Amino acid sequence: MKRVFLVALLWIPLLCFTYSASAETFTCLACHSAMKGKIRTEEGVLIDVNVDGEKYSQSVHGGFDCIACHKQFGSNPHEPARITNVPQGIASLASKLTHKAKVDPVALAACSECHGDIYKSWQQSIHGSNVIQKKQSDGASCVDCHGSPHYITPKNTATSHINKKNIVKTCGECHENEGLARKYGFSTHILERYYESFHGKKYVIGHPNAPTCVDCHKYHDIKKWEDPMSPVAWDNRTETCGRCHKGATKKFVTAITHKPYGKDNPVPYYFEKGMIVLLLSVFAFIVGHVILDAISEIRDKVLRKGKEGHHE
Amino acid sequence: MNKETPKEYLRFNTIERIQHVILFTTFLLLSFTGWALKYPEQTVEHSSWLVKIWGGAKNAGIVHRIAGITMLLNFAWHVLYLAYMLSTGKMKLRKDTTIIPLPKDVMDAVKNILYFLGLGKEKPQFGRFSYIHKFDYWAVFWGMGIIGLSGFFLAFPVQSSYFFPSWSVNWIWEVISIMHSDEALLAIVFILFWHFYNEHLKWNKFPMSMTWITGKISIEDMKREHPLEYKLEFGDKGDNK
Repeated sequence: MKRVFLVALLWIPLLCFTYSASAETFTCLACHSAMKGKIRTEEGVLIDVNVDGEKYSQSVHGGFDCIACHKQFGSNPHEPARITNVPQGIASLASKLTHKAKVDPVALAACSECHGDIYKSWQQSIHGSNVIQKKQSDGASCVDCHGSPHYITPKNTATSHINKKNIVKTCGECHENEGLARKYGFSTHILERYYESFHGKKYVIGHPNAPTCVDCHKYHDIKKWEDPMSPVAWDNRTETCGRCHKGATKKFVTAITHKPYGKDNPVPYYFEKGMIVLLLSVFAFIVGHVILDAISEIRDKVLRKGKEGHHE
Repeated sequence: MNKETPKEYLRFNTIERIQHVILFTTFLLLSFTGWALKYPEQTVEHSSWLVKIWGGAKNAGIVHRIAGITMLLNFAWHVLYLAYMLSTGKMKLRKDTTIIPLPKDVMDAVKNILYFLGLGKEKPQFGRFSYIHKFDYWAVFWGMGIIGLSGFFLAFPVQSSYFFPSWSVNWIWEVISIMHSDEALLAIVFILFWHFYNEHLKWNKFPMSMTWITGKISIEDMKREHPLEYKLEFGDKGDNK
């Protein structure tokens, strides 16, 4: 009897939560919302086992049972994972994701249960094929862009990783990463150059029509720009740019390259240097002239009062 | 020679004053709508009011374009007006009244700076426009050409791209962006220092010279600041008055 009472006590803080999750979710969260920090699994992987119940309840997936995605776990405390609970399609997908989601590949594969079309186009994208075919654990999957599925909020909310205000930063998580840039041979200058461009500047000051990465490069089925399927491949650019810039021609679409200034791009590089020299020399002249003029005026008024008298 | 010397002299006529008002109004609008785009990071973090006062970035862009086109039209009016005045003989090219830079202006600048430094005994004698005025005036001309043209390209990028030679299209847009924003910065700093100091902050001008409204300058100021023009208009009477 005492034991039952204690269990009931445990439930009291949980009742304060305002979410609409099922009883099973409450059972999981009873421990997982209280667990802080990371634990090491038998395979030696450090994982974060905390789930913020309140944030979860406010996410788009907040109404789901935990086992809707974590299909291989069914009891508390956990028995060894049972792959038999898992539908065939998801199990086979999960088997391709073991290097990526070391603890629960089934949960990562489970996204496809509802988001099947998106999952398929992701598998054909450069991000997806990097994970599935090339078996890279640092390739981008659902959670790398959308954040933890526990906390995904609608696209139009400020906390969404893919909200227009956050999307460029989200891409930058990897595309500004020096290590990844070296490994995959892309340039970390891309975001910097985007921010310096008119598109990027307009984006930063909040222009509603300013394009972000995904407006030109697409997202789930993103391809390398040299891939003829990419919207920014040379042959597709007139169409892609033409969505905003009506009448865009082959000549026009070379405008955006994201190339860094310098060796590959010498004309703007030296032009900018020249401009800086021009600006600084004009500034030096006008500021110097004004200061000298002011000092001599004060000198004339204060020290040489009598001498210039005939006009005053 | 006995003609009475008036108390004031009409320096700028109504048309010139209107052109000046349109110029500085559009200049201020362009500066305040464009600054946010020059330094977007700072804009978001420190002074988003620069965007907010226009009701968002989109409106700021519209105001910027309207002001830019107005400024260019005003400039075209000014050039046509000058052509008309010169061709009908209503305005004459004379060395003491022209805005065109002459070798004397370089000498004046050197002489003036030597005076500032205490190395020269006398200030140079200026005509209708000193080298300071000429610099101010031609800086606007330069800005109109560089900023106006690059601004036009940026406002109509697709149409402009038809005219660019194909060997330039890989870098021309970066050059145009740099041109527009750096020259604009130059123009703003120039106005802040050169024009504001010389026409607003100087002892006898503060808080501003009223010439931009009335078009007139007092004879006293004219004698002191534009002695050569004074002599040309009124002879040498100044001293025995």
